[in-house]
Amino acid sequence: MTVGRRDGRTGQDVLRRVGEASVLILISLADGPKHGYALIQDIKELADVELGPGTLYGALDRLERLGLIDPLPAEDRRHPYRITAPGAAALRVHLDSVERVSAAGRLRLQLGGI
Amino acid sequence: MDDPRAARLVQTALRCYPARWRRRHGGEATELAALLIRDGTPAASVALSYLAGAAREWVTPHPGRRLSTVACALLVAASSLGVSAGLLASAAPARAASTSQARGQAHCRPGPAKPAPGVIPAVSRPQMIIWEAGHGRSC
Repeated sequence: MTVGRRDGRTGQDVLRRVGEASVLILISLADGPKHGYALIQDIKELADVELGPGTLYGALDRLERLGLIDPLPAEDRRHPYRITAPGAAALRVHLDSVERVSAAGRLRLQLGGI
Repeated sequence: MDDPRAARLVQTALRCYPARWRRRHGGEATELAALLIRDGTPAASVALSYLAGAAREWVTPHPGRRLSTVACALLVAASSLGVSAGLLASAAPARAASTSQARGQAHCRPGPAKPAPGVIPAVSRPQMIIWEAGHGRSC
């Protein structure tokens, strides 16, 4: 993975290879901190994807190691997470990239007359 | 979790994670499993997800864990697979040889046994000892 600088200003899509679960978690955290259960519920509503708890913790650890999310002080046994500034920047770059590919795909479908 | 069987299943899966992970996420993971099962997710599915996560956790190199630990774990797993395959491969020719030997002559043949092609001699020797022990005879 080409992480480059941790400030997310390299313009490189660092989220390209982290997997769908990590991207969905970042999208879910974009509007505020959430803990595990809230993330699973939100992602189910947002993308109709049922994230397994094992997948969730794996993705959370990966995103934290990359500096894209931060754990907040625990509330009882729950650990909320928030998106960091590099995380938000990386998400923007990734969404722009997805949008470009999506637009190109739609255009080609139109040109192909399929 | 109301169902003790479901709780046991999830706890067993969670025990497969490294201790460092359990210290950090164990409590929350148990609570999350209980909430998901209450919402209708099958306990087996939750446990399976944790099992897959534990396997990933063990093979993923972490800054706190030396890469050599992961490499050693993989090497031990690969070696034990190799030994098992070797034992299986040697079992068939050795058994065939011992059967024909029993038909041809009643007593053991002195001298070292000829290794069959493709059989690792070091592995075929313990196979012979086991066979002999099973018949209660010694050469």
